[in-house]
Amino acid sequence: MPFVLLILRNLLRQKIRTSLTVLGMSIGITAVVALGIITESALSATGELFTAGGSDFAIGRAGSSDLTLSVLTEDDLADVEAYDDIEHVTPVLMAFARVGSNPFFAQLGIHPADLDYFDAPLVEGRHLEEGATREVMLGDQAASDLGAEIGETVIMRREPDEAFTVVGIYNSGTTYLDGGALLSLDDLRELENTPDLYSLFFVRVQPGVAVQTFADQIEADHTALATLVEIDDIGEVDQGLEIMNAINLGITILAVFIGGIAVMNTMVMAVFERTREFGILRAVGWRTRRILQMVLGESLVLCLIASVLGSLVAVALTRLIVTLPTVRAFITPEYPLEVFLRGFAIGLTVALLGALYPAYRAASFSPAQAIRYE
Amino acid sequence: MSDQDIAIDVRRIVKTFDDGRTRALDGATFQVRRGEFVALTGPSGCGKSTLLHVIAALERPDEGEIFVNGEEITHKRDLSRYRARTIGLVFQLHNLLPTLTASENVQVPMYETGLSAGKRRQRAQELLELVDLGDKANKRPTELSGGERQRVAIARALSNDPPILLADEPTGNLDSKAGLRVLEVLREVQRTHGATLLLVTHDPTIAAAADRIVRMLDGRIDTAETSPALGGTAPVAVDADP
Repeated sequence: MPFVLLILRNLLRQKIRTSLTVLGMSIGITAVVALGIITESALSATGELFTAGGSDFAIGRAGSSDLTLSVLTEDDLADVEAYDDIEHVTPVLMAFARVGSNPFFAQLGIHPADLDYFDAPLVEGRHLEEGATREVMLGDQAASDLGAEIGETVIMRREPDEAFTVVGIYNSGTTYLDGGALLSLDDLRELENTPDLYSLFFVRVQPGVAVQTFADQIEADHTALATLVEIDDIGEVDQGLEIMNAINLGITILAVFIGGIAVMNTMVMAVFERTREFGILRAVGWRTRRILQMVLGESLVLCLIASVLGSLVAVALTRLIVTLPTVRAFITPEYPLEVFLRGFAIGLTVALLGALYPAYRAASFSPAQAIRYE
Repeated sequence: MSDQDIAIDVRRIVKTFDDGRTRALDGATFQVRRGEFVALTGPSGCGKSTLLHVIAALERPDEGEIFVNGEEITHKRDLSRYRARTIGLVFQLHNLLPTLTASENVQVPMYETGLSAGKRRQRAQELLELVDLGDKANKRPTELSGGERQRVAIARALSNDPPILLADEPTGNLDSKAGLRVLEVLREVQRTHGATLLLVTHDPTIAAAADRIVRMLDGRIDTAETSPALGGTAPVAVDADP
């Protein structure tokens, strides 16, 4: 019988205990992996926003705690537009409000004329009209969630007089925008009561310009501005995702701690129950190293099963979560390998931490005493 | 008797328990020749099982030396290889692993030899046939009789083909018929393998089957004599003063 089968056979002796340990461990792994998927997906969705509408990068106010709290002025716009390397700048105001059942419905205020430079292909209807008021273009996901069609009205805030007529439905390929709406800049400024202010500038550069180098140049020239080229730049204008990362880390530590105790409890019980058996194994010539391998192997298999199970449940859970309109507006679930590797790494850490002491105990029994043990 | 002829050489072994309050072995000294079958007898508590455990390197003695096939074992740090390769152990209780089949139990000591899983299975089958249990290879210990379990334990002791077999009251828990069958198997494998057999027993019938009987009393060797079955009574080795 291969050694690994011997390990499996040992685990199957106490089926209920093994199952409960795997279940406990997999709940921890599920929490870690599911949060990882959500965090990574949210990061990815935010990263998409930096290049929304076919822009090369975005600009926000450096040090903002949230994208919607990034405040840019006409002077900032003039500073950016002064660069020769720029083809076009689309300044926008960004806000979130409850629309329908979604409490975080993304709204982007944009000059209707800039829609010629902002790539949001229409699925139905038309663009916002210059000078028209109370018109809205809905992302296809938002239109579907709201059940709204061209010509119908959607209330963009809570008051009935904040009803907007749906004039177009678009698909931009950007999660935030497709789950939200484009309004005229003037209308959104009125709703938000923020005249003359912007949240972000979407920048298109002249052909042949190196985007990162140019973005770095803008930051060097204007330290109050943050250029957003890659997802790693998010920390300069939004702390929300960093908070999610911190929560993720906290849950990971908790999972390792609780999981470690659960595994240690199981392995300690398994080792003490089998004291006599370890004595026999030592008596027939097993080295302490092989005893260690067996106990650590049992723990490793437990945690491996828990990691697989936890990861599968996490995928199922996140798929379920994103059926909620509130979440769907922010997240298109992504399953990066590193999230699962992190889950497995936690499983491995727990396996080793939890089994170290029991394995040491099992290996250090005196054979004669262990054989006499009842 | 030259050193080459001696399989087990026990010299002035002392072993105490309970912080020295119990003196289980008190300077025991004796020798066993290669290929010899020696019965170690004596009253309960005289130290015979402790002596066997010390020779099997399951316990370390407080004083004295033991040479097995010329190798001094009492001061060796790692005795796993010695236990795996030089000796085969049979206990009073069979001490088989309950979740494994007879064949798997016999394979347990072979994990240390680097044999492939297939070779281990094949060798286990050969050994089970040797102890007349070839058809019980897939039975678990609970499905076997006491005598059969003990024969599986003998097969396990032989798995790495050790030159020395140590048996601690192997018939102690068996009825007389099963006991005699186990003895017969032990005697047979000792002869066919040319192994040295040191067997602890309090049963005179079993002891009588040995080439030589060594009697213990109060942790020391009292007398050693050739078995009446072989017609002699002359002592071969007795304790020196500690």
